[in-house]
Amino acid sequence: MGNVQMLLRQHVGAPCTAVVKAGDEVKKGTLIAVPAGLGANIFSSVYGKVAEVTDDRIIIEPSDEQPDEFVPIDVPEDASKLDMVKAAGIVGMGGAGFPTGVKLNINLKETPMGELDPEINPELPADFKLEHGYILINAAECEPGLEHNIRQLEEQCDKVIRGVKYSMEITNADKAIFAIKKKNQKAVKILHEALKNEADISMHLLPDIYPMGEERAVVRECLGVNLTTMQLPSAARCVVVNLETAAKIAEAVDEKKPCITKNLTVRGKINGGNQAHVFMDVPVGVSVGELIERAGGIDGVYGEVIMGGAFTGKSTELDAPITKTTGGILVTIEFPDLHGASVGLLVCACGGSEERMREIAEKMNGKVVSVCRCKQAIENKPGAPLKCLRPGNCPGQVKNNMQFKKDKCEYIIIGNCSDCSNTVMASGPKMGLKVFHQTDHVMRTVGHALYRTLKVSKQVSQDIDF
Amino acid sequence: MSITAETAKAHAHDPAVLCCRAEGGITIEPANLEDPAIFDDLVDSGLLNLDGCLTIEEVLGAKLAKTCDSLCPLTADVVEGAKAPSVPAKEAPAEEAPAPAEVPAAPAMAPAPAAGGMLRIHIGEGKDIDLQIPVGALGAGGAEVAAVPVAGAAAPAAAAAPAEEVKEEKVVRTLTRKHFKITEVKRGPETKIEGTTLTIREGIEAEVIADQELVKDFHLEIITPDLYHTYSETIMDVQPIATKEGEDDIGCGVTRVLDGVVMMLTGVDEGGVQIGEFGSSEGYLDENIMWGRPGCPDKGEIFIKGNIVVQEKTNMERRGPMAAHTAFDIITQEIREVIKKLDDSLVAETQELKQVRRPGKKKVVIVKEIMGQGAMHDNFILPVEPVGVLGARANVDLGNVPVCVSPLEVLDGCIHALTCIGPASKEMSRHYWREPLVLEALHDEEIDLCGVVFVGSPQINAEKFYVSKRVGHTVEMMDADGAFVTTEGFGNNHIDFASHIEQIGMRGIPVVGMSYCAVQGALVVGNKYMQYMVDNNKSESGIENEVLGCNTLCPEDAVRALAMLKTAMAGEAVKAAERKWNPNVKSTNVELIEAAYDRKIELEKNEQSLPMSQKRKEKYD
Repeated sequence: MGNVQMLLRQHVGAPCTAVVKAGDEVKKGTLIAVPAGLGANIFSSVYGKVAEVTDDRIIIEPSDEQPDEFVPIDVPEDASKLDMVKAAGIVGMGGAGFPTGVKLNINLKETPMGELDPEINPELPADFKLEHGYILINAAECEPGLEHNIRQLEEQCDKVIRGVKYSMEITNADKAIFAIKKKNQKAVKILHEALKNEADISMHLLPDIYPMGEERAVVRECLGVNLTTMQLPSAARCVVVNLETAAKIAEAVDEKKPCITKNLTVRGKINGGNQAHVFMDVPVGVSVGELIERAGGIDGVYGEVIMGGAFTGKSTELDAPITKTTGGILVTIEFPDLHGASVGLLVCACGGSEERMREIAEKMNGKVVSVCRCKQAIENKPGAPLKCLRPGNCPGQVKNNMQFKKDKCEYIIIGNCSDCSNTVMASGPKMGLKVFHQTDHVMRTVGHALYRTLKVSKQVSQDIDF
Repeated sequence: MSITAETAKAHAHDPAVLCCRAEGGITIEPANLEDPAIFDDLVDSGLLNLDGCLTIEEVLGAKLAKTCDSLCPLTADVVEGAKAPSVPAKEAPAEEAPAPAEVPAAPAMAPAPAAGGMLRIHIGEGKDIDLQIPVGALGAGGAEVAAVPVAGAAAPAAAAAPAEEVKEEKVVRTLTRKHFKITEVKRGPETKIEGTTLTIREGIEAEVIADQELVKDFHLEIITPDLYHTYSETIMDVQPIATKEGEDDIGCGVTRVLDGVVMMLTGVDEGGVQIGEFGSSEGYLDENIMWGRPGCPDKGEIFIKGNIVVQEKTNMERRGPMAAHTAFDIITQEIREVIKKLDDSLVAETQELKQVRRPGKKKVVIVKEIMGQGAMHDNFILPVEPVGVLGARANVDLGNVPVCVSPLEVLDGCIHALTCIGPASKEMSRHYWREPLVLEALHDEEIDLCGVVFVGSPQINAEKFYVSKRVGHTVEMMDADGAFVTTEGFGNNHIDFASHIEQIGMRGIPVVGMSYCAVQGALVVGNKYMQYMVDNNKSESGIENEVLGCNTLCPEDAVRALAMLKTAMAGEAVKAAERKWNPNVKSTNVELIEAAYDRKIELEKNEQSLPMSQKRKEKYD
């Protein structure tokens, strides 16, 4: 095992402050950094010795022996469940990394309904109210190619449900809904069975389109409420938690276990084939390269390595460490070569940032001559990540295509969701624009259909009819 | 891009096309629909076919019968429960000059007018008939109905109309024009008029040359109709020969004017460069003059044509054209002095022009943008004599700020035009003398023309907005109900033209804009107040064809502009302009107006009626 690197910032908020120094002995569960502002505790994920503390990370030299035992979180006997979640350093494991202890610190019973924007909620009456407080469990696992979430649901369904119940208790929610894609038939059946005697926990089946796991998409699908880009789920009297986060909550409460491991999927151009390698409970801080080696090693020449999913992930290096929010490591095939052709970028909230899209264009040897933004991609504050006004429901794209045409683009690279990609395809090729999707190299690598025209319905029946 | 409920309302009568894939069974909402503003491009490129497409108001709230993809036109077979269309908007008058595409299409403010809206009640035989028609029902009848002259309305209808306070017309002042006929112009030892013969002193040319340092040469020619096929340098200006009686000021009292003869100034610089910009009208006179335009000579008139040669390279400096005009006025002034002494027995015709105010009628102002960029783009304002030089202030020197004048001052030659770019669209001095919009508005009994505002068009953008803001305030304090903004030329001056309209429009006053636009002069800027545009183009292909006066404001344009302003002031909708110039819009509007007013509108001829010049053959036709 190589050195383990614990980044001081692996969550939304400010970097943590290290509380260990070089030479200190650490165990699994030793507190090594504490929040300085919004953040969550960071614990050592291995037994070993602190080799170095830098500005942005703590580097630990692991011992040869790595027993399973861990140092339990340091909370008083009568600590509340919320205190345990906070102490365990749990953050949103779906990728967002918002400190869970902060998120759950809400009393949904007393939380009033937010004001709904009638423009995006045309079907709701003006005085629409939700009668209950909800925990919504994000089990969409929407990034194509990743499988660790669904695997966990199949294998640790009880633990996840326990975490959900604790979350309901902490937030005073009287209902909970699992949001899961219907295509995951095995997991749906297991969950269905497990929820048989749970009157207050139900399941909402999602269609297999991207994005269904976007937080506000989950709210809309489960509760029928469209939130603006500025509104939090609390405006719909709910809190959305990823299923892996729920499992971590259960571990913190039941086992006093700190958040020191991550489940993830390693996949792509890897020796032995492109099937998913799901690794459960990988110590946080392990390098990307080490995980790829565990999966079989890179198979020859490759395009890039992505940390995260194909849509929202970023390119990474083999020596980069995984964090509490890393869900995927994808090794892609080589990029096509556009030989300097003129390229337009269609930037939206669902895919990469403009910076990421420019990187992809550069890797494809294209010259960016035009950048358009999807009409629904809202920048809440200057520089803030884009948010989609109506995730998964296209606002029309032909005007952007006309702009690309005007700017003399030969190719366009889009990062859009299933619905918007479909719209781009309705006019782009007819106008003579050659369309690439930002995820093409990943989809080709993992054998997933490319994001182009939409062939499935956005509606699925809620019957378990398989 | 998907549209909002507001946009859907504004485009209620436009085709409904899905912006994105939508699944069967959904209720169609504005968010499902593509913005009609971009349809023309899509139709042009073959991406969209709108045949049989329902309108937005028909499909909203209806059910989509089956899953359809992005850019699918919603036709009856894919929509269940479509509503019936309210009223077809087809025959509403339409704006003639499209503003640039960046401008959102003009929102229709009122329910679209009924087609050619005519309420026809035929009663063959009957008695004790009591008709009650809600005023509102007629209100939806479209511009044409609202605009029917009161005088033409039947008495019973007038009784049913809401009692409008009828106030007396007020004649503010009058202007008398005494016409003297001239049938022959010749040279002789002194300048004089005997009977109908005008003699111009031999040797007067030397005084013209001596008057201005920049004038290097000058020749005077008498062009009689048999000499129309004479080569000429570019025509800088055409001027009436008129003078005031006694101490009378421009715009009132008595003006004496010669009929059958005009002053015509032509010129080049010493290097042979025409004194013009963006085209010039040099060539055979009969191939390059659009006869009978307000600013042009009429066929049959004699031209006293002075050709001036100015110092090399001063043709595009301010001092060059100014020197030419000032020097040429020496001849005109000598003729004026003679006219003043003529016996009244020689008066062939007397005409009285009245400045009438009509209190209680919609108050309307005419804003005329004139050129003020410098060089020949200038105007002498309010000379002592009609279209004279003495006593006038150059528009550029006044800083191009708005100057308010009375309609009679306009018609009495208060503008001595150094003129503008483009022979076909420039308004020469004679244009103001016969300004069709002023005449039409002055005589229109349905409106109250309060005055005319001249505003210069400066060269620099910052100055353009400086003057347009003044225009806004000037019109605001008039409490006008409607305004016209006219301009000459095209291009650079359209920036302030648009800004004038915006400044007036943002004060809640409907504005009709008038300019040559068509193809070559298509607007380069636009704003949401440019909803009512009238195109002065007459040329066959919509271009600046270098034929003098071809695309200037004519009576037919004035009639259309008035009808459009009345429509706008009545709160009726005017259809947004088509994206590309379509001459049929104008002819449709003309037909609508002819039907509504029961009057024949004589359409002017264009360059096709002239013998083909070599230049036109090579460059344009």
